Amino acid sequence: MTLVVTEAVVLHAFDYLESSRILRLMTRDSGIQSVLARGARSSRKRFGTSLDVFAQGTAEYSTRPGRDLSTLTAFDATRARPELVADVSRFAGACVLAEMALRFSSDEPHPGLFDAFVSGLDSIGAADAGESVSRTLGAAWHIVGELGFAPALDVCANCHTELADGARTAFSHVAGGALCERCARLVPGTRQVPPEARAAIREWLAGSSNQLASAAEGRAHQRLLREFLDQHLSEGKRLVAYGMWEREQLLVTSH
Amino acid sequence: MSVIDDLTSELAKLPGIGRKTAQRLTYHLLKQPPEQSRKLASALTTLADKVRRCDRCFNLTEDAICTICADARRDAAIICAVEEASDIGAIERAGEYRGTYHVLGGRLSPLDGIGPDDLTIPQLEQRVSGGMVREVIIATNPSMEGEATALYVQRRLAGYELTVSRIARGLPVGGDLEYADGVTIAQALTARRAML
Repeated sequence: MTLVVTEAVVLHAFDYLESSRILRLMTRDSGIQSVLARGARSSRKRFGTSLDVFAQGTAEYSTRPGRDLSTLTAFDATRARPELVADVSRFAGACVLAEMALRFSSDEPHPGLFDAFVSGLDSIGAADAGESVSRTLGAAWHIVGELGFAPALDVCANCHTELADGARTAFSHVAGGALCERCARLVPGTRQVPPEARAAIREWLAGSSNQLASAAEGRAHQRLLREFLDQHLSEGKRLVAYGMWEREQLLVTSH
Repeated sequence: MSVIDDLTSELAKLPGIGRKTAQRLTYHLLKQPPEQSRKLASALTTLADKVRRCDRCFNLTEDAICTICADARRDAAIICAVEEASDIGAIERAGEYRGTYHVLGGRLSPLDGIGPDDLTIPQLEQRVSGGMVREVIIATNPSMEGEATALYVQRRLAGYELTVSRIARGLPVGGDLEYADGVTIAQALTARRAML
């Protein structure tokens, strides 16, 4: 039995038996881990009240070789992130990041991915009204970059010719990014991406923020990212939280 | 598959029951007089045949309208919205609440694919749209998903002339401030009430 102590964020939590919970954690030192928090529902003495989705803190758990489920022995929460439920669009965006981490990450250590995820949650949590879509897109592209799937934006994804900064280019999910004029004629199923969109993705991949000009621009980016994830990471399985976010199912239109 | 395996498989589908426990339960039933098993089977069949959702509040009931909705002494102008029917029992045990209920049927959980369309929020909206309801108390769990659900319900009811309130959070009765965690204390301070 090995005791692991690492910084962690709760990605998903569900009830188990009468009084326990199973948590999916994103850890700094051990990637994604599933842990059993015994008695977490019946007694708050052991884990406190903040053993909830998006809580961050120091997790202490014991692992056994050959077992997928570790036992959580302590969770010292340092952040509960109530700001993520101050607005349903923030909550929807944070769930998109959690879904990406759960689906595309592994139990291998990846501190860069952990930092990208945490800074993404912080960014969404601080978003003003109308900003959460661009903040979520930024954090999602940052995660894609950390996973090693950043699309080619400055050179043609097919022939590696340098692309002019201000040029409208074709974008191919299959080829893995922007294409030069010549290659765009050869590759089917491309999308036209304006230079501002390419610049925005470049900024987001680097972890910087970029405010979108309109809701329509946000929707185009959501579609582009979804198609990119479907092509390279989803392995044919539908992203449910992403779909709910893209269809704005949690947003309420006034009466 | 034998009859024993069949029952074991069915029991193992129940929450909190693994294959070994299911097998133990099956053999326990075989040791009991046959009448005992027949009683259990009859109770299960009756449960499936008779228990249904209340047409008004989605509580579990044997009639079209549950006993709480049918009780004329209850204040129908106050609705307490809860996640599950089992939450009603917890509130009723407190003995303080005299209004009616609305069971949402869960909470928003995008990661599990549960969105507003999977809950009974439109039916709650329909109940308040008649103009007879003066307050909706949102009593979802104080978790992130419960809070998101509460916020979503509040937004959906914003256009109606009524009070939408949220159950308070904070220090438990009989608890000790010294042993409370930071998040609970912060929430208790945020939800403090004036005494003078």
